[in-house]
Amino acid sequence: MSLSTLIDDWSRYRKGREEGGFHDYEHMWGMAIDLNKCIGCNACSVACYAENNLAVVGKEKFEKGQGMHWLRVERYWDEPDLGEERTTAFQKHGASFLPMMCQQCNAATCEPVCPVAATYHTPDGLNAQVYNRCIGSRYCSNNCPYRLRYFNFWSYYEDSWPAPLQMQLNPDLSVRDKGVMEKCTFCVQRIRTVKDKARMEDRKVMDGEFQTACAQTCPTEAITFGDMLGMYDPESGVGETKVTKLWRKHQVELGKTKQNKQTPDMRGYRVFEFLNTDPCVMYMDRVREV
Amino acid sequence: MGWTGAGATLAGCDMPTTVTLEEGKEDVVSYLTPEEYVIPGVGVWYASTCQQCPSACGVHGRVREGRVLKLEGNPASSINKGRLCQMGQAGLQAHYNPDRISKPKIRRGSSLVDATWEEAYGLIAEKTANISGSKFAWMSGSVSGHQSVLMQALLESIGSGNHYVHETINNAIWSKVSQDMLGDSNPRLRLDKAQSVLSFGADFLGTWNSPLHFSTEYAKFRTSPRGTLIQVEPSMSLTGANADLWVASKPGTEGALALGIANQLVSKHGLSMSGLPGDVQSLIRSYSIAETETATGIDAEEIGKIASTLKQRAPSLVLAGASAQGHEHGYQSVAAAMVLNIILGNVGKTIESNGEFAYASMAPLRGNSQSLVAFSQAAAAKRFDVAFFSGTNPVYTAPKSLGLKESLANIPFKVVFSHFNDETTAMADVVLPLATAPEDWGTHVAPYQAGVGEISIQQPLMEPLNAETKGFGDIVLTLLKKRKESAYEGFADYYAYLRNAFSSIPAEHKNGASDDDFWASVLSTGLIDVGVKESSLKVNAVTFDMPKGLGNSSSLTLAPSARLGFWDGRHANLPWLQEAPDQISKVVWDSWAELHPATATKLGVKEGDMVKISSAQGDLNVKVYVYKGVHPDVIAVPLGQGHDAGFSRYAKDRGVNSLSILDPKVDKMTGELALYSTNVKVTRAARSDDTLVRFGGSETQVGRKLVSTVPADVYERTEGGDHVA
Repeated sequence: MSLSTLIDDWSRYRKGREEGGFHDYEHMWGMAIDLNKCIGCNACSVACYAENNLAVVGKEKFEKGQGMHWLRVERYWDEPDLGEERTTAFQKHGASFLPMMCQQCNAATCEPVCPVAATYHTPDGLNAQVYNRCIGSRYCSNNCPYRLRYFNFWSYYEDSWPAPLQMQLNPDLSVRDKGVMEKCTFCVQRIRTVKDKARMEDRKVMDGEFQTACAQTCPTEAITFGDMLGMYDPESGVGETKVTKLWRKHQVELGKTKQNKQTPDMRGYRVFEFLNTDPCVMYMDRVREV
Repeated sequence: MGWTGAGATLAGCDMPTTVTLEEGKEDVVSYLTPEEYVIPGVGVWYASTCQQCPSACGVHGRVREGRVLKLEGNPASSINKGRLCQMGQAGLQAHYNPDRISKPKIRRGSSLVDATWEEAYGLIAEKTANISGSKFAWMSGSVSGHQSVLMQALLESIGSGNHYVHETINNAIWSKVSQDMLGDSNPRLRLDKAQSVLSFGADFLGTWNSPLHFSTEYAKFRTSPRGTLIQVEPSMSLTGANADLWVASKPGTEGALALGIANQLVSKHGLSMSGLPGDVQSLIRSYSIAETETATGIDAEEIGKIASTLKQRAPSLVLAGASAQGHEHGYQSVAAAMVLNIILGNVGKTIESNGEFAYASMAPLRGNSQSLVAFSQAAAAKRFDVAFFSGTNPVYTAPKSLGLKESLANIPFKVVFSHFNDETTAMADVVLPLATAPEDWGTHVAPYQAGVGEISIQQPLMEPLNAETKGFGDIVLTLLKKRKESAYEGFADYYAYLRNAFSSIPAEHKNGASDDDFWASVLSTGLIDVGVKESSLKVNAVTFDMPKGLGNSSSLTLAPSARLGFWDGRHANLPWLQEAPDQISKVVWDSWAELHPATATKLGVKEGDMVKISSAQGDLNVKVYVYKGVHPDVIAVPLGQGHDAGFSRYAKDRGVNSLSILDPKVDKMTGELALYSTNVKVTRAARSDDTLVRFGGSETQVGRKLVSTVPADVYERTEGGDHVA
C-alpha cells in the first residue's frame, strides 16, 4: 500500500457519508447500548475475555494500566446532568455504569496515524487491526480519544494461560505477542464465520444470526448489535435491523458531526460526538427517578 | 464418549472457513473423516447446566476438537433465558484451572499424600462399615436432582439423618418468613409486573435468590412504564448501584424503617392493616414518623417519600435480603418487610405462588448458615466419627468464633469431595478429586423457578482432563454399591443410573417419544419441564416484635457484603474474576474496606491507606476505599479473598476474609448467622508498600458527557408505551 493510496483512502473515509464519500460498505456493524438497562454487572467484559483470548496480566501490570480488557465497564459517581452529587451525603442515585468497547469510528482518529497501515477501515465498517503488520509505534493508541486500544508491552501469554488453561483459548483467533496493539473487533471471527456461511448458502447475513460475545451474554439485553445498513431479511431483502431501528428511534445518524434531533429528549447519543469521529456505537441515556 | 449422538448444532455460530481470504479461490476439504461431531474447525454446542452458584442456569458449551471453549446461556432455560453472568462465563477457568486436584489424597501423619481410588474407597468403607447413623454427618452446599437422591440414599444406608446444607449467601430468613406468612417458602416475585420495588438489602441483581433470573426480569421492570427501585442497605450492592433512590441504613434498623413506612401507609395514605394481628398493628402504630426518624436516623421527609412512592406506584414489591436478615432480630426485620407487602396488597399481584416441584426427592435442598452453626456445635460436642464435605468450604466461611476448625479435630475421619485444595481439604483425612461441571453428569432443579418445574441436565462437554478425577454421582454410587450392592449393581456408572431414571420417568413427560428419542431430546434441549403442583398463597401474618434502641450504638459495624463475582469466596481462584474490577469499588486482585468520607476523615485515612479492623474475635488489616455508598457507621469488607490454604496460585496470599472475625451471633428465631451485627474498632495502621489497585483513573466524568442521565418523566414522555428494544 503506497502512501498516496493511504492518503486517498483516508480522505474518503474522513469526509464520510455526508460528502458522498466511501459507499462500498458490505456491512456497517454497529451497536446500541441502553444505559437504562445496563446494571454494571461485568458479564460482558468477562465474556469478552473468554471469546477473544484476552490475557490476564496480574496485579502489578494492571496497576501500570496494562489491563487488556477490550470491553471495560466504567463506573462514575457523579451525575452532571442531575447536578446533585455535591450536596448530598450519599450516593442517592446509585452509580453510573458505562460499558466501553472500541467505538468502531467511521472517521477513526487511530487510522490515519498508523505508519504501516496496520489499523485500517474494512468494508464491514470496522476499525481492523492487522497484528502481523503492527510494529508497535502506539500512535493509534495515543490518538484514540476513548483509550480503547491495548498494547502488548510484554509477552503476556507466557504467564496468562498456565497449562491446561491454554486449552480454553478460542482457536478462531490468535494470541497476541509483545509489541502488538490490540482492541475490540466486534468479534470479527463470529462475523467471518457467519458471512462465510451465508455465502455458501447463497444468501445474505440475517439480522440476529449472531451476536458479539458481550451482547449475547448481557443479562438485561442492554446491548443490541447488528448491521447499520439494515435490510437483512433474506427472503424479501427488506425490513430494518434491530440496531437500525433503535438508532432511528433515538434520532441518531451516522455521518453527522451534530445530530439534529426532532425530539431532543430522545435518549440516543454518541460519546465525544463533537470530535467528529463518527462512532458506530450509540448509547441511550441512563434514567433515574428524581 | 458417552454423550455423543445428542448434539444440537445451533444456527449460525460455526462453520469451517472453506473459502480463503481470496474471494472464492479454493475449497479446502479434509480427507479425514473423524468420528461424528468432531469435524475439525466445526464447533458443536451442547446443553448443560452451570454450577458456579446454586441458581442452576442452563448453558450451551461450544465444543471443538474435543475441547470445550466457551459457555453461553441456554435460551431454552427459564432461569437465564440465554444469558450468563460473569461467574458463569468464567466457569471454564474452574474446569481448566492449573491448580485442580488430580489425584485422591489420604492423610499420613500431618500431610496429605497421593493415593489410589482403591485405597481411598477402602478406607472410607472401613471407617463407615459399622458406624452408627448418628455418628455420621454430611455437610454439603445446595444440592438437587439425582445427586440429592443418591446422597439421601447413602445417608439412609448409613442410618444417618445428619445432612447439613450450607450456603453463606442465602435467602433463608426470607424463605422462612414467606413460609410462615404466605405458606410458600419461595414465592414467585413478579418484578416484571411491579411498578415499584423497595428492597431492604436484597441484592437481587447480584447475590440474592436467583440473580441472573432477576436481572432478566429487571430489564422488563425498567421498560416503560418504568418501575422505580428503592434500595435500603448499609453498603451499596450491585442492586443498590442501580437504584433510583439509594438509602443508607444503620445496620439493624431496616425493620424499624419498614414499620415506619407501614405506619405512614396506614396513617397518611389510608391503607388498611386490618388483616394483621393486633400486636403487629400496635407495633406499627408505635412507629410514628418521629419515632422512626429517631430509630433509623433517616429523615422524615425521605421516609414519607418512600411510603408515597410505594402507594402511588402500585403494584409494588418489597424484598428483604442479607443485610436486613443478618441480625439477632433478622427474622423480625424480614417479617416487617413482608408486612409491607400485605398492607400494600402485593400478595396475589406481584407475589404469587410458585407451585411445588412435583418430585420431592429431587427438589432443591437450599443451603443456609444455621446448618453451619449447628454442625460446628455438634462437632465441638464430639458427636461425629465420620463427616463428608461436598460443594462447600465451611472452614473458610465459618467465622473463627464458631471454632469449627478446632472442632474438626474431634471428628476422627473427614472425607472432602473437592476440585481444589482449600481450607477444608487441608483438614481432611481423605480428599476425593472431583470432575468439574463440564466433565460430569447431573440433573439440577433450580431453587427459584418462575412457575415452572424444569429439571436441567448437566452433561459432560468433554473428556475429563485428569484421568483420576471422578464425577460426584459416580463416587456416591460407588459408595452406595459398597454398602448395598444389590440395589445399585445394575448401574455401571452414574450415567447409567441417570439414563435409567429418565427411562422410568412418567410417560406423560415423554410426549409419546421412544425412550431413546426422549433422552436425546432432553439432552439437546438441556432441560425438561415436569410441571409443578398447583398451590396458592394464604396470607397469615404472624406476630413479631421489634427490639428498641437498635440505632444507638456508636461503634462501627462490619458489613461482610457479597458480590456477583467471588460469591462467598469460592471463585477467588479464577483469574478472570480476580482481574475483573469489582462492580462498585473497581478494585482488582485485592480486598478493600469501604468507608464513608465522613468516617474516613474522622479516622484520618484516605483511599489506599491501611486500617486495622478489630472485633472481639480478631483483626483484619485492609486498605481503604472511600465513597458515599456506605453508611457512616459501617465499614464494609466484601467477601472473597483471604484464602489461607493455597486455594490456587491466583487466590494465594491475597486480601482478607471478613467472615473470619464475625461474632458468633445468630438470628434468634431461625439460628441463621447474624452476618451484619459485629461491632468493630477501626484504627489507622501503617501503610503497606502494596497499593490498592483499581481500574479507572477518575471517579467522576470531569464534565465530559460520558454517562448522560435523564429524569424518568422525560423517559416516559418520549418512550412511554413504546416497547421497541
